[in-house]
Amino acid sequence: MLTELVALTRREFLKLARNPQAIFTSLLFPLVYLLLFGNGFNLNPLAELQNPTQAQISAALDFYFRGAPNYYSYFSAGMVGFVVVTSTLFIGANVIFDKLFGIFKRTRGTPAPSAAVFGSRLIAGAAQPIALAFLVLGLALLFAHIPGLNGLHVTQSITPLGAGEVLAAIVLLALMFATLFLTFGILLDVPQTYFAAVNLLNLPVLLTSDALYPWGTMPGWLQTISQYNPISLCVNVLRETFFGSAVYPYPPAIYLGGLLAWAAVLIGIALLLVRRALRPLE
Amino acid sequence: MSGEGAIIAEELVKVYGGKVRAVEGVSFTVRPGEIFGFLGPNGAGKTTTVTMLAAGLRPTSGQAIVDGVEVSRDPEEVKRRIGVIFQEGTADGDLTGRENLEVAAGCYGMSRSDGKERATELIDKMQLTDAADRYAKTYSGGMRRRLELAVGLIHRPRVLFLDEPTLGLDPQGRAGFWEFILSLRKETGMTVFVTTHYLDEADGMCERIAIIDHGRIAATGSPAELKDKLGGDVVTIRTSGPTPDVTPVLQAIRGVSSITKKDDTYRVKCMQGETFVPLAVEAASKAGVGVTGVSVKRPSLDEVFLEFTGREYRGEEGPTETDKAVMMGHIRQNLRGRR
Repeated sequence: MLTELVALTRREFLKLARNPQAIFTSLLFPLVYLLLFGNGFNLNPLAELQNPTQAQISAALDFYFRGAPNYYSYFSAGMVGFVVVTSTLFIGANVIFDKLFGIFKRTRGTPAPSAAVFGSRLIAGAAQPIALAFLVLGLALLFAHIPGLNGLHVTQSITPLGAGEVLAAIVLLALMFATLFLTFGILLDVPQTYFAAVNLLNLPVLLTSDALYPWGTMPGWLQTISQYNPISLCVNVLRETFFGSAVYPYPPAIYLGGLLAWAAVLIGIALLLVRRALRPLE
Repeated sequence: MSGEGAIIAEELVKVYGGKVRAVEGVSFTVRPGEIFGFLGPNGAGKTTTVTMLAAGLRPTSGQAIVDGVEVSRDPEEVKRRIGVIFQEGTADGDLTGRENLEVAAGCYGMSRSDGKERATELIDKMQLTDAADRYAKTYSGGMRRRLELAVGLIHRPRVLFLDEPTLGLDPQGRAGFWEFILSLRKETGMTVFVTTHYLDEADGMCERIAIIDHGRIAATGSPAELKDKLGGDVVTIRTSGPTPDVTPVLQAIRGVSSITKKDDTYRVKCMQGETFVPLAVEAASKAGVGVTGVSVKRPSLDEVFLEFTGREYRGEEGPTETDKAVMMGHIRQNLRGRR
């Protein structure tokens, strides 16, 4: 099983490395969001306050940005969740194209176990969003040091446990969505149907999270829904680690637990669905 | 089911969606080491049958045994023992030829070092050495097919399934491909099961063939046996004059089924044209009639197909006569060169 998994994973990474256009596009996407959206949409609720006291400033920041020092810092943590989800979209499309070109059929014609076929694509498909998530964090931190640009200002000292929780949150979110989209790719055969199904899932999940909306501007019902949204759960771990836990009702480990529960349920359902499709005899 | 076949199909049935009956009770046995052709027009059930035999599709009923393993019972083991070359090109264009082979080796559980070694061996055998480290998407159609053949052979299978292997290749490419298959079989004694709708390929390359039409086997046998079932060869004998009539003399020769005479020319239908000719010349000579010309015409597989299916083979699907001549010429020339 391990030999087959290694061989097929190598294939996925070779294909990824040989597609510079896709790499360029995937890098460009978060960069444009960070440079344009983050700077252009940089809300400042403090501007409306006349000679605010420190307590008023803290209250406003807590209300709108859940403890983040500004919108950009709040937004860049949210961008991590946003980028992880949007960059896993193509994992299933690649399966469909491999089906159309006969490559998937050839692989299924070998005795390579289904777990290796699925696992190799999952590893490669999740690695890219995880790398992009850290790229977003790195760029956002870098922008904070470039005059004229907004950037991510981390206000807490990051402990090894905190760093581990951030990593775990990103990895879990990437694995969860990569599994879902990979399942779509295995079950569907037509690219148009795949993208329709993905958008049907993707947009509501993204837009019911607090990844991009300032918390204080969200209506109460959306705040309630977003607390259970897996993207929000991931982003909460990041924001609480970066900006402090004063406004959060639970510690990061609880959000991580929620994310783990989501991942377990969705991955479980997905594996049940693909098990039939990946049986040795169809 | 008993027997020593490398491939045994017994009453295989495949119904898609409860409605479309693609294969309806197909049975045949392929002997170890033979090249067996599975012949039929598009939509006849060839690919469905080969996919069931290659453990890619569960039969609705019936059973298949490949290299002694029942396919439905242990499909993974069957996949370990067979190589499959699919109808559609399956080479990974973004990988080099060598990488395609190394990934395939890994899929069969071969270690990295064994995979590399076997890949190099097959690259040399398939004459892809110069192109081995180029992306497969830069290969010509013939090179891609050879690469796909190498991929199918990476794990030294005992049975090789070829599904329309020469579809889309030019005559040179087809000739080259078949040369590889023939030399491979000679070297390894591997059983080769090939589906094709090129009648000339089935006729020239396969020891036995099965004709499938509308999901059923219409006939099985060697190309010569199937042609003999039509009543044998047609021998045309031109004599020095219309009299005396040698019809009774020729009729007495063994294997003759019918004779028609027009002026000085006799059209004789007989089982073995080549063995009949010297006997006929001798008999005519003894009867005082000189033979001035002889031709022997064997029935083609087109006629066999017509006989067993009741309709003509769809000619537009096959190669042109020129294509056939060029391909066979290439093969003959190369075989002569080897000798």
